[in-house]
Amino acid sequence: MIITDNLTKKYGEHIALKNLNLNVNEGEIYCLLGANGAGKTTTINLLLGFIEPTSGSAFINQLNVRENSKDSKRFLAYIPENLMLYPNLSAVENLDYFSGIAGKKLKTQALKAFLEEAGLQPEAFDKRISTFSKGMRQKVGIAIALAKDAKVLLLDEPTSGLDPSASNEFGNLLQKLRAKGVATLMATHDLFRAKEVATHIGIMKDGQLRQQFKAEDISLSELERAYLKTMDYQGTTV
Amino acid sequence: MISKTFIKETKELLREGRVRISLIIVLLLLGMAVFISMRQYRNINEQYATANANERANWDNQGAKNPHSAAHYGTYAFKPKYPLSLVDQGVDKYTGTSIFLEAHARNEAQFSAAADQTGLARFGDLTPDFILLFIIPLLIILLGYDSFTKEREMGTLTLLKSQGISSWKWILGKWSALFLPIFLITAALFLIAGIVLSGLEDFGVFRWDSLVMMFLVYIIFYSVFINIVLIISAKTRKSGISLVLSLGVWILSCLVAPKVATNIAQAKHPYPTAQEFATAVQVDREKGLDGHNPWSDAAKELEREVLREYNVDSVSQLPFNYDGYIMQKGEEHEAEVYFKHYNYLKEQYGKQTNVYRSLAAISPFLPTRFLSMSIAHTDYGTHWDFNDAAEKYRIATQKFLNDHFAENSEYGDWDWQADPDFWKQLPPFEYEPPGLEQTLSQNGTNLTLLGGWFALSFGILFFIVKIN
Repeated sequence: MIITDNLTKKYGEHIALKNLNLNVNEGEIYCLLGANGAGKTTTINLLLGFIEPTSGSAFINQLNVRENSKDSKRFLAYIPENLMLYPNLSAVENLDYFSGIAGKKLKTQALKAFLEEAGLQPEAFDKRISTFSKGMRQKVGIAIALAKDAKVLLLDEPTSGLDPSASNEFGNLLQKLRAKGVATLMATHDLFRAKEVATHIGIMKDGQLRQQFKAEDISLSELERAYLKTMDYQGTTV
Repeated sequence: MISKTFIKETKELLREGRVRISLIIVLLLLGMAVFISMRQYRNINEQYATANANERANWDNQGAKNPHSAAHYGTYAFKPKYPLSLVDQGVDKYTGTSIFLEAHARNEAQFSAAADQTGLARFGDLTPDFILLFIIPLLIILLGYDSFTKEREMGTLTLLKSQGISSWKWILGKWSALFLPIFLITAALFLIAGIVLSGLEDFGVFRWDSLVMMFLVYIIFYSVFINIVLIISAKTRKSGISLVLSLGVWILSCLVAPKVATNIAQAKHPYPTAQEFATAVQVDREKGLDGHNPWSDAAKELEREVLREYNVDSVSQLPFNYDGYIMQKGEEHEAEVYFKHYNYLKEQYGKQTNVYRSLAAISPFLPTRFLSMSIAHTDYGTHWDFNDAAEKYRIATQKFLNDHFAENSEYGDWDWQADPDFWKQLPPFEYEPPGLEQTLSQNGTNLTLLGGWFALSFGILFFIVKIN
């Protein structure tokens, strides 16, 4: 569902991403770990078609993103670190608009069902987004993905700033989507959450994918050591 | 996607305090402006009807009198207030409302409303055209300056782009949401004006098609303004910058451009001063026949010609009163002199108008202003037309009086008096302003320029602006 083939992005002399080869299949959650500037967000932006690769290709559901920028978006949903919605509209109205933009015509009942499936409390459905916490907004983001019937989910630091329980809840939602066959690529700093939800984990540094593992093959402490080793960390681990 | 964006934008607009307050203020101002204009329109037209009736009664009842005395006694041509002046008062306030029609002289229109006002008038009047031309464009800016920038600033643009939004459908949705409140406010104003004018006594000729045409002109103007505001919002990163740029465009197009156009037109094609004009007229008058001076060279030449033509030795042998005849010939010479000099003024006015029209390309405000005033019959063109009609009537009146004097009295009998009922035979002064078709054909350039702004701004908005 998500494939990158020697995907490279340069800004002048600076290499933001170098020869990235990824393959995320249906029902897989791939977590990209790495420090700031490692190339995680660049990878997501290339998959979204927001920026053009210097070389290589990105594919969403077998469509080359560069050549089918608009069509490829039909299959994906994106949740950024800070999902921003229209503050003066309710959750239902926001979901209605964003799913409408994606070409879905849904009745209010269906919209509410998606919000419920995304874990939002029914009493919040008709409240304005300006009163929502970040966790609640992320749930609306998931509802947008559900309403769109997205085959691919791209997440950029989605749990950053969430409290542990909201973060855990978000992880559970990802598992639900995984069960539906959604291929997820998540950029994160959160090793614990990555180990919890991912099927595959990659560690990036300086625009390159340095290591990748199957989540089931590695423990959390091994993952932490591998991560720190990749980052050339000189301090003491806990 | 268009309707979804339209509904979303409309909900957002209506839920924002600043928008609700702005809309309420504009509606209140419009209501007040229409009410004030309606009262003013009714008062002025009642005064017009009274003055017209009184003046005609004075003329009809002046009693037995020598026709040339009646010519000096004179009468007035009153300019009516036309129905659509309720919407656009144009230059009505600065042009006179009545012209004194008398023998030997063409007079300027007098008694302008501005002349009756105090210095406070410099602050402007609350009229519907002020709201239409200045306030509603400001409202458009207030509603639309952050239309696109807010999406960037709030971060919703990223999510929209990831949803595969179509640029032109999104723009059209936003355009419609901005257009709807402006359309409704403008339509309400014109509908109220139409209902009020239909209900009032028909002093002028109220035509719904003129009102609809004027409405369309404003709607096109607002569409252009909406396009400009959206283009700025789409091409800037920050709402603050977008607001400042949009206000800059408003200042340049609505305030600066008309002043610049006026200054350039006046500098290139100046009118003579009142003193220069009066002197030039006097010089030309003295070169020709004066009906009151039978000893001038021109009078003696005319006398020789007439005696030769009628083959008589003395003017007393003519089959008509030569006093009336020479008076009429003098009038004809004076009318020619006035025609020549007023024609020069009209030519200057025409040249100034051409300068305005060529400068209308720099601002959509200018063609809108000219079209609106022309349709309302409150422009200088209509004022000139009224002046010409009054002058034509004055010349016809003088001929009517001089001919009666010449045909019914003896030479030298200045004591002869016309019958008291004779004055009633003079047809009343009637003036019909140009019809809508004529007005539009005279404003072809303005229509083309406004249409050009409309097409160009839409072209830029939908085909050049890409949201990224």
